[in-house]
Amino acid sequence: MASEAMSNPFAPLTNQQQLQQPSSHDHEHPPPPPAKKKRSLPGTPDPEAEVIALSPRTLMATNRFVCEICGKGFQRDQNLQLHRRGHNLPWKLKQRSGKEPRKRVYVCPEKTCVHNNPARALGDLTGIKKHFCRKHGEKKWKCDKCAKRYAVQSDWKAHSKTCGTREYRCDCGTLFSRRDSFITHRAFCDALAEETARITAANSGAAAAGQGYLFAGSAPAGMAVRPHSMMLPPPAAAHLIRPAGGQMLGHTAGAVGDMLCEGAAARHGGLSLWGGENTLPSSMGMQHIGGLLSSGGAGAPMPPQMYADLFAPTSAGAPQQFDMAQLSWMYGNSGGSGKLSSSNASELTTNSSREADSAPSVFSGQQHAKPAAPPADMSATALLQRAAQIGSVTSSNNATMPVMGAFEPAPKSAARDEERNKFFFGASQHNANVSGAMSELTAATGSMPYDLFSAARHAGLKDAVGREETRDFLGVGMQALCSSSIHGWI
Amino acid sequence: MEQEIRSSGPVRVQSSLCFSGALVDGPRIQQLLLHCAAALESNDVTLAQQAMWVLNNIASSQGDPNQRLTSSLLRGLVARACRTCGSPRGAGSMAAPLLGRRAMSVTELADYVDLTPWHRFGFTASNGAILRAVTGRDAVHVVDLGATRCMQWPTLIDALSKRPGGPPALRITVPSVRPAGPPLVGVSDEELGLRLANFAKSKGVQLEFNVVDNNNNSTNTPSSAPAKPLTLSQELLASVLSDPPALGLRDGEALVVNCQSWLRHVAPGSRDEFLDAVRALGPCLVTVTDEDADLDSPSLAARITGCFSFHWILFDALDTSAPRDSPRWLEHEAAVGQKIESVVGADDGERSESGARLADRMRRRGFAVVGFGDGEVEEVRQLLSEHATGWGVKREEDMLVLTWKGHAAVFTTAWAPN
Repeated sequence: MASEAMSNPFAPLTNQQQLQQPSSHDHEHPPPPPAKKKRSLPGTPDPEAEVIALSPRTLMATNRFVCEICGKGFQRDQNLQLHRRGHNLPWKLKQRSGKEPRKRVYVCPEKTCVHNNPARALGDLTGIKKHFCRKHGEKKWKCDKCAKRYAVQSDWKAHSKTCGTREYRCDCGTLFSRRDSFITHRAFCDALAEETARITAANSGAAAAGQGYLFAGSAPAGMAVRPHSMMLPPPAAAHLIRPAGGQMLGHTAGAVGDMLCEGAAARHGGLSLWGGENTLPSSMGMQHIGGLLSSGGAGAPMPPQMYADLFAPTSAGAPQQFDMAQLSWMYGNSGGSGKLSSSNASELTTNSSREADSAPSVFSGQQHAKPAAPPADMSATALLQRAAQIGSVTSSNNATMPVMGAFEPAPKSAARDEERNKFFFGASQHNANVSGAMSELTAATGSMPYDLFSAARHAGLKDAVGREETRDFLGVGMQALCSSSIHGWI
Repeated sequence: MEQEIRSSGPVRVQSSLCFSGALVDGPRIQQLLLHCAAALESNDVTLAQQAMWVLNNIASSQGDPNQRLTSSLLRGLVARACRTCGSPRGAGSMAAPLLGRRAMSVTELADYVDLTPWHRFGFTASNGAILRAVTGRDAVHVVDLGATRCMQWPTLIDALSKRPGGPPALRITVPSVRPAGPPLVGVSDEELGLRLANFAKSKGVQLEFNVVDNNNNSTNTPSSAPAKPLTLSQELLASVLSDPPALGLRDGEALVVNCQSWLRHVAPGSRDEFLDAVRALGPCLVTVTDEDADLDSPSLAARITGCFSFHWILFDALDTSAPRDSPRWLEHEAAVGQKIESVVGADDGERSESGARLADRMRRRGFAVVGFGDGEVEEVRQLLSEHATGWGVKREEDMLVLTWKGHAAVFTTAWAPN
């Protein structure tokens, strides 16, 4: 075929060359003969095929199934068969003729149409009729519910049946009519990342309210940007407030307010940690924290728990350089009475020096997770990374946490930690266990936040592998802030 | 050149297809292309240039599907010509402008993949076969040799999560080196894995995601040889598949190797070796999905004809799924264009093999077909019914074939080692 074509590329096409039709048989033909039919390659002409070109009127009037006796035409095979019975044929003639009719292919009458080309002909009369109607016909049929119009009535009917019946909506707002598409989208959508983080945080319980502090800076008003970079680096706050596109930021702002309010709510556990503390005074007066607590901020579209996964319990195995104080500060409020003692703040202050190396680790991970995607993706990814790290450290917790001991006289055994941590993770897996987890945890010595601390510590430490970036006290580099709102969380 | 001149008649809508009074339609374009190819193969530079000049006047990256096809084919031919003539340049000025294509986000890729059933057809059928093959197994490991960045897996994870008896522990492994090409996705494998794992977790399925670095051959190139990048198949064969430890196979796992639009990247001469390597891993299921066209002939002319006859299918389908020249449409077109250029222009480029021949090959290499059940076929039909009319599925004894207006587009098969 190829050689023929090349010998005289500009010669008029012969009939042979025009017959290009894959010999694919449509499903309505009788079953293929026992010998396996070799399918021709697409585009390979079937020299036996007869190309039929009908005028539009004839095309639409031609029926696919024709009675060989009287020539009456039918749209469907069943109808033809019913009709044939009426002819009272002798048995022999009742059977269809075994000889397979010559293959016919049809071209579209519309000259500009791709199917006008015999190489692109269609093997099915009904198909070409529908095609002609659809592509070149007037769209007379209109859907009631949406704007779609159809030229072929069956298309319109099929559409009307499903229009608006099934709709899947992702949290990000996109609508889907197909379940597969919805599931695939959802799996990779930022909305899921955030929601998962939220759920994980909810399961870890106490973490929730404590988060409020972190975002204090992001809310307007009372969340005054601290001069002291410890609590919330002013730049961080500024970045958070920045009306950047990332949905995280928006949620952050809202979350802050929510968290703060929740922070005030009584939630016990772990506050004993704070109760007795009375270490170094700090420039962060209680009023700062109080301010954080009191100023509500905007209503939260997203619960603060979304960030809790950052601090979800992880194993306590890793070295404990992370600033327990800082973490306890974060969780302390959620833990119990919701009141912050200045000691908390001071805890943070004291540990400030240690944060330089440990805090960055919390966020450093984000640097690596940085895709080319906009900030919204980044933060969702960062969230996920956190969650993954935390989640993956499930029950390897085996060491004690001496640092925590420093904060709380309550004895802590490794076994206990493990149990608690496992419990946390069990909870994080299934929402159903949340209440159970919570009660068990609160029933514990109240050192629940320790787990969270260790978790955060470990989470942070996971990434603490030689970060080069310059970080401020809380390990939040300007750069980091720009790329992820997560950085602004501490 | 205008040996054939049609008399009178109004110039059709696509006036660019009217060259010096001659209506140049599909078959004639094809002939021109073949003419050009023949000229190249016989090193008749003058003739090749003439043909290219004419083609260039016909081709257009903004015209109708025929023109766009021609445009891609022409680029491939030019690339080839440059190579033949020793010019170091690639497609040069004829290259389609990159249109400032920016990288897609992962959700945009999901949207891209679902524009037509072209990809999801294979996903649905393969996932169905996988589900069946891992019934009762507690640990499943999928080695994903695919071209769509894990878009196949969310629905599998969803289905596994609903398995009676509970989901298995799932592992997905992808090679770090993959065919690159449109669409460009600005997301790392690690991030993909993270999101997937998160999704799995939300469904109660434990997922472990790994990226196997199969780009470790640079140290092995002999110092005397120039630094020639290995082809994808060479990379795979040399590292991932022949190094099972790299894959981290574990006892007790049900191993599934999923080849989606992958085999076409394996050099035809190495395919048997590739399949042997896969078989040696001991999988319980090997799924193979690819375009149903024979574009692996050593003859350039045959490949050109093949491309022209096959790739119009997707273009035609695209027209019913998205407005022409919309971003999604252009992205798909770019992908097709890149494939065509690879088939035609590169000596070690993509070489699609049709389903029928692939099936023969699998059988020769010791695989037995695993048929698709009625449930799976029904699911596929359901999928197609959610798309534009015109899509169909053909059920053959060893594969399912996606058809568009009756023309075979994509085949999907499932195999198990004998």
